[in-house]
Amino acid sequence: MNGRSQAAQRIWRARRPRSTGDRLFLAYMIMMVALVVVAPILRAIWLSATSAAGIALLASPVAPAVAVLVTAVLWASALLLGRDRGPALLPPFLAHALGTSDLSRSDLLRLPLLRAGAIVTAVTTSAATLVGGSLASQGIIGALALGVFVLTGVLVGVIAAVAWLAGQALPRVAVPIALGVLVLGVLAAFVPAVQPFTPWGWVGLAYPSSGGPTPAVVGLVILAAGLVALVPVLLNRLHLAELIAQAARWESASTFAASLDLSTAAAAYRQRPRLGRRLRAVRAGRPLWATFLVRDAIGALRTPGRLVVGALALAAAGTLLALAFAPAAPGWLLGALAGLLAFAGLGPLTDGIRHAASVASDLPLYGIGDAHLLAGHALFPLVVLVVVLLAAVTVCAVVVGVASLSPALGSLALGVVALLARIDDALKGPMPPALLTPVPTPAGDLGAAARAAWSVDGVLLAAGASAALAAGSPILLIVTAAILVGVGVNRWRHRR
Amino acid sequence: MIAVDEVGVVVSGVTLLAPVSAAAPAGSALIVRGRNGTGKSTLLRVLAGVRRPSTGVVRVAGEAVAERDRGFRRRVAAMIGLPPMAPDLTVLDHVTLVATTWLDDPRAAEELARAVVVELGLDGLAERFPHELSSGQTQLLGLALVLARPFEVLILDEPEQRLDPEHVESVVRVLRARRDAGATLVIATHSAVLADGLADRTLDLDAA
Repeated sequence: MNGRSQAAQRIWRARRPRSTGDRLFLAYMIMMVALVVVAPILRAIWLSATSAAGIALLASPVAPAVAVLVTAVLWASALLLGRDRGPALLPPFLAHALGTSDLSRSDLLRLPLLRAGAIVTAVTTSAATLVGGSLASQGIIGALALGVFVLTGVLVGVIAAVAWLAGQALPRVAVPIALGVLVLGVLAAFVPAVQPFTPWGWVGLAYPSSGGPTPAVVGLVILAAGLVALVPVLLNRLHLAELIAQAARWESASTFAASLDLSTAAAAYRQRPRLGRRLRAVRAGRPLWATFLVRDAIGALRTPGRLVVGALALAAAGTLLALAFAPAAPGWLLGALAGLLAFAGLGPLTDGIRHAASVASDLPLYGIGDAHLLAGHALFPLVVLVVVLLAAVTVCAVVVGVASLSPALGSLALGVVALLARIDDALKGPMPPALLTPVPTPAGDLGAAARAAWSVDGVLLAAGASAALAAGSPILLIVTAAILVGVGVNRWRHRR
Repeated sequence: MIAVDEVGVVVSGVTLLAPVSAAAPAGSALIVRGRNGTGKSTLLRVLAGVRRPSTGVVRVAGEAVAERDRGFRRRVAAMIGLPPMAPDLTVLDHVTLVATTWLDDPRAAEELARAVVVELGLDGLAERFPHELSSGQTQLLGLALVLARPFEVLILDEPEQRLDPEHVESVVRVLRARRDAGATLVIATHSAVLADGLADRTLDLDAA
């Protein structure tokens, strides 16, 4: 790195000196979070992976195909993510001050890129170590196969980091490339003959239960080395205006996220419409319910990327829910994932509900009551989720060969619960002051956990209700749904 | 139409609005003036029914203020700060949607929406989304939303904000037309142009 760039970044880092007390408190925080949160989660994951059901899943004939699919989705997502938040990012002031100097971008941005790349690679390597280590712990694979798969994890991470940067440097071509990776990824997952010809297919061939180390890993090494060689070119392609815009957006989102205002943080990254402006979303003369249904549908079509992602997430939720009803399936886990995906998928479909919630907490704008307005805006997401969830559940049930009635009814319940969670989320408002009170315990201040739970209560309750649904626990489902309704009614009453 | 009798607002011992009295008959404009922090917006919030006064009474058309009452909402339109806007609707969509929810006759709703858009000079921006508007254009869209509906009382907090002198003049013309048609206007403003162009009565909170 250039000396001037280093000096500037040193000054920047020194702007907020930490006292010894601050450092000790930070170390204490990290240790407590590691002990109280991270360690139990890691232990639960390891125990699940090495259980009889976990090993059966990891050693099953479909596991390599799943690895192919996961890799393709990871790389495609990295490409798309780079368009909005790339790995080569500096704080806004530094981006402006250094970006307008004569220093080369590859010099300036190498450090943040390395930092982001190291995080991605650590995650993929850990995942590969977990999978390989679980199989090795049962004697299914040897040390060599384990080592090769861990190396595969490293290479997948490196390629993902470069794909992330490529999305930032080439935002326009990133979309068709990501779609191509996704389509070919699905093809390679379902047609093994294609795997030797695609990089994501090489990951499937390097999977430990695929029959031991293969030349596919060599292909991944060459690909990763070639992509790393392109990094300086990609860094030097980055435009200053886009670097500053991404930096400002990230800083704003981080500030809101740190204050647990996740809705506003997410809004910073919500795609803004550019298409369909000549399509009239509102025409007088329709019944009001149709006015809101059409207005929300056209509004969603104006950001087609978000709409497709939302519909795909709902379809994935329906598929997971149908699989959760299969005999011997880990129902609660698949159900919880389905709830999470349904909540996430409803995000792009509920702009109208968020608008209704804003209007309901402000001066009257429309000539109809707040409840009427909210109900009108709930219609579009309700229609989409019923159609997509039912279609996904039916197709999956037919393919897997399970009865479709229970999953179909379950998907309707999931849809309603996820929509309630979205409405609760839209009505949330500022954090109740009572949550700011410390809750001292021997394990530390649990007030922080309460505040964190409040900030993600919608998705937690949706996932919990869905897990209860898939695990066949109607009482728990009813209790969770009742909590959602209670929270929603309370927020509605205090909306102004 | 509006009678304000010794209305004051005190929160936790802090006076947000010292007691004031004023009246504005139908077809008149009451201009509220005063330095920052004298309680102009607080008074408008009381008139719009979103804040309860600590002392005194407000009556609109002889009735107490009740924001949750449908009749009151139909009678009183207010813009105190920008109204919530939908990021996925164009300017024309926004105005038409508001008009559609207030008027039963579809043709009248379309005509009112288009007329308001033209009146405020937004016709060239009808197909823009909110994030494509400048701050002044966003202010005009806010005004368009509050004008695209029937009302007897119009309450506005600093409608001149973010507007250039030419647009302030055009807002004066638009509001004068509403006043002359019989509406009661209550406007808090720092703009001499707006005050001179509209005021039938002035309430100076600096003197309160």
